[in-house]
Amino acid sequence: MPVGGSPPSAGSVSTTEPFAAADGRTVDDRSGPDGSRRARSRARDWERLAPYVLVAPAVLIIVGLRLYPLLLGVNFSFTGDGDRNGEAVGLDNYLALFDDPLFQQALRNVGLLVVLLPVAVAVPGLLATFIYLRVPGHRFFRSVYFFPAVLSPVIVGAIFNLLLAFDGPLNTVLGSVGVGPVDWLGDPDVAMFMVVGVHVWATFGMGLVVFLAGFATLDAALLDAARVDGASLRQVIRHVIIPGLTRTIQFVFVTTMIGMLTSMFGLLYVMTSGGPEGSTYLPEYYIWIQQGQMNRPALASAASTILFLIMLVVGLLQLSILRRTGRED
Amino acid sequence: MGGARVGKWFVAIPMALLALATIYPLVFTTNVAMKTRHEYVLDRFSVAESLRWSNIEGAWNSVGMARYFVNSIVVVGLSVTFLLIIGSMAGFALGQLRFRGSRALFLGCLAALFIPFQVIMVPLARTMADTGLLDTYPGLVLAYVAQFLPFTIFLMTSYYAGVPADIIDAARIDGNTLYGVYRRIMLPIGRPALLSVGILNALFCWNDVLISLLLMPSADHRTLMVGVTALRGQYSDNIPTFAAGVLIAALPVLLIYLFFQRQIADGVTAGSTKG
Repeated sequence: MPVGGSPPSAGSVSTTEPFAAADGRTVDDRSGPDGSRRARSRARDWERLAPYVLVAPAVLIIVGLRLYPLLLGVNFSFTGDGDRNGEAVGLDNYLALFDDPLFQQALRNVGLLVVLLPVAVAVPGLLATFIYLRVPGHRFFRSVYFFPAVLSPVIVGAIFNLLLAFDGPLNTVLGSVGVGPVDWLGDPDVAMFMVVGVHVWATFGMGLVVFLAGFATLDAALLDAARVDGASLRQVIRHVIIPGLTRTIQFVFVTTMIGMLTSMFGLLYVMTSGGPEGSTYLPEYYIWIQQGQMNRPALASAASTILFLIMLVVGLLQLSILRRTGRED
Repeated sequence: MGGARVGKWFVAIPMALLALATIYPLVFTTNVAMKTRHEYVLDRFSVAESLRWSNIEGAWNSVGMARYFVNSIVVVGLSVTFLLIIGSMAGFALGQLRFRGSRALFLGCLAALFIPFQVIMVPLARTMADTGLLDTYPGLVLAYVAQFLPFTIFLMTSYYAGVPADIIDAARIDGNTLYGVYRRIMLPIGRPALLSVGILNALFCWNDVLISLLLMPSADHRTLMVGVTALRGQYSDNIPTFAAGVLIAALPVLLIYLFFQRQIADGVTAGSTKG
């Protein structure tokens, strides 16, 4: 926990320690030469304390409702559920977790997400490249592609529930050309791909606008030079765009992975409820089920801790890989 | 030149098809919401015979969508208000005032940004239950504020850090207290950032289902998104009414998108290019 110690120390410091230069120049002297000294020093105290007063509500909320619960949850994951409520059980919850086929499936699905991640980054990256190169209608494309990204996963999931229903429109179309019907959300081999596909459909616009913001910082002269030299699109991407956008690409990789690990709950809840046969479980859904439906909060806490570790590992791994490739270029 | 032009269209056509695939699901849903059940059963794709509002009315009145809608408006309104006030105060302090611990506080905020709700939901639900805040509006608002505050502070801090210190110095010389500077200078100057972060927070809160599902279990406290998930069970055999309910929930977001697309994009991309 890099954070745990700092906010309280800031609080205790405020009454005892001397303050940084900024406050020296800012003493409010409106009371004039004959204002009472006490009033002036009170004003000075207030000025000195003001920054702490300004951050106090934020610190209270973040420490109390985000950092503290994190510690509480980790602690909680080493205690028991049900009959053993409150007892220290060591690693029992973690052992139970890795024995549970549903959690194993959730981890396998995380693996699938990691494998699909480059695609989920490349699609918006490529589309942003075309939009940046002013393909006809680029303004329109930008607006349209971004739109699903602001819709709730619940709305998106509900819409695709309609479209992918066994007797729904997609199968009707396929049926008319002699294919199917496919049970898109009811076949354990297909359902997870559909959910991930819908997630990518709904969120690629997010990566797209981030890429476009990155392009805006790119040196246009470099790009023009490459094209004057007759570089192909592939060469331009490889030698101008990717090296110039390392930071943006990094950002999209990390945010897309975080999105996949933490914002698919709505889709899973609406589209498949984790089924069929548990094939669409992800850690976040598993946590929800164990906490809310199975009444096993300690086990859920253990799963939470694992999810947090996965996010840390994925984040650090990606950053280090990208930093290395960035150095090569 | 001719070659390049052909190349462009070669790309534009698949992109147009993709755009169609992006819009069509919503168009389809809108169309279904205007149909009768009979029409839908006969032909999934036919254009609705008329602009029929009865399904929308039905969804609005019968399953409590109206109630859920009001619940969502209240919760989102309160959450965004608190986020903007608390976030801009902290952003002003962290972005402009150098004080002991400010750097550590900002880093702490950044770290909190990377704690997903799923990781803290179990202890949070327990704390809410222990304090009597479970299944109450203040509890849900507090949870939303806690969830989106780190992002809000991050954005406001980077915005205020870009404000020239001269402006504040001048205001101080004119006799403003720090509070006066905050209210008379920083809030008006921060308006673009406040608008952007306010709209994004409104979308986040409006779109959330997990937090609301966890902390507002009773039926008449449901927010709109939880209400939509409940629709599915109730209207599995009446697709047009189901589609109408989905449309009601999507409409406010669609309107916000039409008016504030740029602000949303600004907020989403903050932090991706600088820092």
